[in-house]
Amino acid sequence: MKKLIEVKNVVKTFDSQVVLKGISLDIYENEFVTLLGPSGCGKTTLLRIIAGFLDPTEGHVIMDGEDIARIPAYKRDVNTVFQHYALFPHLDVYDNIAFGLKIKKQPKDIIDQKVMRMISLVGLEGFEHRDVTSMSGGQQQRVAIARALVNEPRVLLLDESLSALDKNLRKEMQLELKEIQREVGITFIFVTHDQEEALTMSDKIVIMKDGEIEQIGTPAQVYNEPANEYCARFIGDSNIIDGIMKKDRLVSFDDADYECVDYGFEENEEVDIMIRPEDVDIVPRNRGLLNGEVKSVLFKGVHYEVMVETSSGTSKTVTMHVTKSRDVENAEAHEKISASSFYMDLEDVESLTDSEVIARANAQAWDDKDEFVSLTKVAYSLKPEVGTYPCTFGTDAGTEITVNINVVKPQVIKDESNEEVIQAFDFYKTAEEIKESVALDTDLIRWADAYAWSTEDESRVEIWDVKYDFDDENISEGDYPVTFSTQGREIKVETTDAIEEGQRIGLKWNPEDIHVMRKSR
Amino acid sequence: MKSFSKMVYPYVVWAAVMIVVPMLMIVLYACTVKGNSVLTFQFTFDNFIRFFSDPVFPGVLWRSLKLAVITTLICIAVGYPTAYVMAKLKPNSQAVAVLLITLPMWINMLVRTYAWRGILSYIGMSGEAKVYVGMIYNFLPFMILQIYTSLSKIDPNLITAAHDLGANNTETFKRVILPLSLSGVVSGITLVFLPAVSSFFIPKLLGGGQYVLIGNLIEDYFISTGDWNFGSAISLIMALIILVSMYVTRKIDRYTAQEEDD
Repeated sequence: MKKLIEVKNVVKTFDSQVVLKGISLDIYENEFVTLLGPSGCGKTTLLRIIAGFLDPTEGHVIMDGEDIARIPAYKRDVNTVFQHYALFPHLDVYDNIAFGLKIKKQPKDIIDQKVMRMISLVGLEGFEHRDVTSMSGGQQQRVAIARALVNEPRVLLLDESLSALDKNLRKEMQLELKEIQREVGITFIFVTHDQEEALTMSDKIVIMKDGEIEQIGTPAQVYNEPANEYCARFIGDSNIIDGIMKKDRLVSFDDADYECVDYGFEENEEVDIMIRPEDVDIVPRNRGLLNGEVKSVLFKGVHYEVMVETSSGTSKTVTMHVTKSRDVENAEAHEKISASSFYMDLEDVESLTDSEVIARANAQAWDDKDEFVSLTKVAYSLKPEVGTYPCTFGTDAGTEITVNINVVKPQVIKDESNEEVIQAFDFYKTAEEIKESVALDTDLIRWADAYAWSTEDESRVEIWDVKYDFDDENISEGDYPVTFSTQGREIKVETTDAIEEGQRIGLKWNPEDIHVMRKSR
Repeated sequence: MKSFSKMVYPYVVWAAVMIVVPMLMIVLYACTVKGNSVLTFQFTFDNFIRFFSDPVFPGVLWRSLKLAVITTLICIAVGYPTAYVMAKLKPNSQAVAVLLITLPMWINMLVRTYAWRGILSYIGMSGEAKVYVGMIYNFLPFMILQIYTSLSKIDPNLITAAHDLGANNTETFKRVILPLSLSGVVSGITLVFLPAVSSFFIPKLLGGGQYVLIGNLIEDYFISTGDWNFGSAISLIMALIILVSMYVTRKIDRYTAQEEDD
């Protein structure tokens, strides 16, 4: 194949914002190239530079050995299919397609011949004199393709051209576009953010991110051997795991070593490991490479998407004391008051304020019209040592309630292997409060003041799971354990076999299913 | 939506009483003989015959049409480039430009025309030229705004697409921008030609007594002479001419929009 377009170190800045950071790319004759990336990665800017709608700030675009970076769009041997087609609303289908030929002042009979050939290529026979504005998205798309192709360009540029179509039509057009490309035998440069589209149609995929090229390769290459974590996440579904390359063909994660086929890394280099969900097999427990528990099963049509937890997160169990309603009634003043005892961290004693005490005890008073009455008395005396201290809340009318503040040592659990710390306290609640809760998990986290962070950088870690063994609709007084935990290692598996949540299973894969990638800078 | 449609009733009543009834009365007056009694109608076409048999009246009509047509053409000639430049400005500057164009309209038309009378006599301009200056000055903003609106509505991608298909700036203007802005030109024509053909106070103020137009004629017959029947006949002739010219303009718009290329 002959090299057709050479993009050399193209830089583009808009108002001091760098959109393309030195792009170099070779495009060959008769190739279907896809520029793939999320919005804002510069793919459309690159396309517009090739089309000639934008001038590069630096660098060259060479076509057939000639620098075309400063040649205006209308003189280039390149045509574009726009994102929203940009069909001329004042012209019918025929005249839209004939536009370029009329500009070139071609004889009428030649125009007619070429236009009709294009109309039949895109399957719009009989629509020649339709008004383009009244056509469907798919038909407009075909007109736009025909309008560009009729000029017999060397390169056809397609800017997110399928994104406005619905899913089924898009799939149909993907195949059709590929078909048209094969038939006319010219280079197509297609811009999209849809990885599936890119995999289906391309000969070559260019993955872009933040104005730079991350990887160039065939669909199979970018799928099976992504250059880095970004590419792996962008194309297809994947499990990406932090690991260490022990030596050539041996990688380690979660305290276990696994065989692989990758080599050429430094000894003990930190790497990203990718395993595709469809490469993982579910086997009976202890028969695979590692064991796990099924956390969730999602039905996806052809397959089930199963999340398997292979190592648990950091967890902490606390006691929930469910008590009777503690309302104290003051009949004379027609007032009621309530509050609950609570646990608190020894370290927080020094900085405790009255309003915080009210909030933690959930203290409130109200009159017989259900209007809140303000709490004017908050009496307690705390020493900075472990112990139980009484605390009294009261109103102006003399309605009072006394509860306990239990000062305890910090309730944290440190998990060295996960590099995480989790904290949670015991707490008191009434059965009503539990029954009234709309989002119980969230409330439990709040009531227990459950919180987890990473020991590495103190960043917050989400409480992933709240476990309890009571029926919140019919709870009675007593003590109940509640366990909070962070997310452990979860591996996504795609399987066609039905499997149930909670099942304990083994996971297996072949050494070549593991793909090891260098950490990106 | 249904409940909202009832809100149109007051306007329907208003239109019936204030527009349809007076129109019918004009037709009635135009086709009857002058008389004191309202009850005896004597139908006649004498009023129309009188208009066309006297060479003075068709002459006035011709002059009015000529004034309106020339005013409209100059408004297009001046307004189109102005609107085109405006539409190419940055969004902020566009807002300022629209403000500047509409600013004179904040002052009463009559006052502005009086001001022009002073200015034009001071610089020694006379007769017909003064009328043209006044007319163009007053009607130009309408033309500019209509064309500007239609130009700014054009999707910039269409212009990019034209370049992509090999059209240079001239070709792009001829084949894409102009045809797509024609609707603005047509509504501009409607907004300029109609009031221009029947305007009477601008020619009266700026042209002095000598420059009689069809509007002045109608005014005279109704107010000074008191011949409502003949005045109505002239009004009716005017109305028909306006109707025909509007129809023709619309036709041209549709025709050019479709057949632009061939």
